[in-house]
Formats: sequence, C-alpha cells, structure tokens
Amino acid sequence: MRRALGVGIVVLMAVVFAPAARGQGSRGAAPSATKDLPFDAHDLSGAWWRHGKSGSTLSRNNVPPMTPSAQARYAANKPGIGRPERIVPLGNDPAMACDPIGFPRVMFYDAYPTEIVQIPGRILEFFDYFYVHRTIWMDGRQLPKDPDPTWYGVSVGHWEGDTLVVETVGFNDRTWLDDDGHPHTEDMRVEERYRRVNHDTIELNMTIIDPKSYTQPWVGETKTWTLDPKLELREDVCVPSDEEKYKEEMRVPAATAPGK
Amino acid sequence: MKSTLIRSLTALAGLLALSVSVFAHHGSRVSYDLTKQITMKGVVTEYQYQNPHIYIMYDVKDESGNVAHWGAETNSPIVQARWGWDKHTLKPGDEITITVYPSKVGSTRGYLSKLVTPDGKVTNLSAPEQ
Repeated sequence: MRRALGVGIVVLMAVVFAPAARGQGSRGAAPSATKDLPFDAHDLSGAWWRHGKSGSTLSRNNVPPMTPSAQARYAANKPGIGRPERIVPLGNDPAMACDPIGFPRVMFYDAYPTEIVQIPGRILEFFDYFYVHRTIWMDGRQLPKDPDPTWYGVSVGHWEGDTLVVETVGFNDRTWLDDDGHPHTEDMRVEERYRRVNHDTIELNMTIIDPKSYTQPWVGETKTWTLDPKLELREDVCVPSDEEKYKEEMRVPAATAPGK
Repeated sequence: MKSTLIRSLTALAGLLALSVSVFAHHGSRVSYDLTKQITMKGVVTEYQYQNPHIYIMYDVKDESGNVAHWGAETNSPIVQARWGWDKHTLKPGDEITITVYPSKVGSTRGYLSKLVTPDGKVTNLSAPEQ
C-alpha cells in the first residue's frame, strides 16, 4: 500500500496539468485492488478498456498475403489515419464520411471501451465509439446460411468450458478492417474467443477468415481488456454535417498552401 | 481517502499512457510539421466542441495590426475530457496563448500542443509519436 502511494506521488509530481478523472476511472498500469477477487468466468459483464500492441488493427505483424483482388482494393483505399507511409491528408476512408465503422473494426480502438451486458439468450456489446452495439446470440441458434449483407454481421456464440466462442457472418464488403484500409468480402467469417482470466481481465483472440481476400486465416494478436467499475460510456457519434464543417474549416486548409 | 488518492493517481498514470496513442486522426498527423511548434496570442472567434475533432478558430494580430485567421484542432470531446475540457472551456472573445504544430504547407492551421485559457489554466498535450 505504502509503495503504491509512493509511486503515485512521483507520478503526480511529474505531471504538469490536472485532468479531470470524470468517471473515467483508472486504466493505467498501477496494481489493481480487485484483480485477485473471485469471479465467475461465464460473466463478462462490465465496461472494459481494450489494449493491444498493434493499435487500431487486428495485428500489425502477421497479416497474411492478400489475393490479387484484395491487393487492388487495398491500393485504392487511401487511409486518413494510421501508418505514415500510407496516410494522405484527404483520404477516402468511408468512416470519415460517417459510414458505419462496422465489425470487426469497431473492436480495435484502444482509446474507446466496450461495455458488455448479458441478458437471457444474448450478450450485447456497446461501444461509445460511433455509439453502436452488436448482439451475440446465445440461444443455441445456428449461424444463418444465407444472410443479408450488413455492416456488423450476425453473431452467434456458445461456451466451450470457460471460453466464449463467437462466430460472425453476413457482412457487406463496404467496411475497412482497420485504419490502414485492409479490405474484406461479403464471405468473411470472424471468430472470437473471449476468456476472463481474472476478475479484472478478459483476453480476446480473434481470427478473420476470408479466402477471397487473404490466402490464410488472419490470426490476430491477443487483445487484453481490463475492467473499470467507474467507467460510463459516453456518446461519440459521427455526424456527417460536422465532418463536412471540420473538413472545410480545418482538414482541407491544413493541407492547402496559401494562395491556392 | 487513501484508495481514492491511489485511484486518482492511477488515472493520471493512465492518462500519460493514453495520450500518445490517440493523436493521429483524419490525416492530421501527415498535414502538420511535428518538429516545429509556434506559440501565438490570439482571440477566439469559434470554439467547435464537436466530433471528429474539437477545433478552435482564432485571430492573431501582428504589430502592424494585420489580422491572421488561424485554426487549431485537437482530440474529440470524449478524449479531450481527460484533460478537463468541456463545452465551457472556451468561448468567442477569449484571449488565449496557444502553441501548435503548424501546417506543413504554411497555411494558418495547426495541431494543438498547448493552450492557456483566460483563467490561466494550462493544457499540455504530449508530443505525438512520429
């Protein structure tokens, strides 16, 4: 206790500004008082900060080779966010026009949390980023055989021991998989494996399977989610008219030399 | 009291860890020269507290009385809340001292690095990773 207090005071001295802690709770690396509490492995409910090493993508380092058609689409996708070698000031990322961010991309923004709510027959995941939710059906149904194309897909889950296994199909091909502009087709299937490893932590492993885009399954890095009992999700909507105003007043002028 | 203090200090530690990762957005990073910072005194004309980015329009007067119209952008409201910003942080007419990473092509636009509001409160945003 005393050691944590001492470390905390050092941090305080090092900090110049005084941010509000506003119900945002703690997401730093300091030891947690609740990590070793007993927990129910089949209870994933709560608001979770998401962490990964790769940033806003499934994984940086083991992206499988793309098919020729996927490569062509990747080349045409001009990111506005992401790796310096790819981004351009005025990119064509559909999310910047407020098209739905879609699944699985909605899962990858570490600055934004996920809130999980479990009700009979369903697990719901809420995201303040884009202010959307997705439903994971837990009532024993099968994946749909010929689903309509959607932005977030249709998800069906079941427990294998203490691991929640979720499969999602039924995508349109209009979303990017990440900020970098990796494409996918309507035939994509996504598998998630959630495991609550202690009171404060969920580990999430995700695999993207889309043979028309990637020659092998794209196995993601393990994402770590940490529980924050004080966290309350806020609205963070994408507003087309605000995007337009921002573009006119900031984004375009910032990239346009004076006199042009 | 002790556990509240630890929670607050942990939140500050988390803030430091968080601040770098959310910088790059909407091509902002590629439009601004992250090796330079310019500090100006100006008067706020617009405070756009909205997504995708909060941005401030402000006028800067030089010694001859010429007025330059500047714009500076920063994070979204939900992220900027971690630095204590809200809808009251600025209003038209406020006199500010503002430091930005300037536009690479020399236009009067920048990415916010530091702001001093009329009440003297300082917002320091950490340097973004390249």
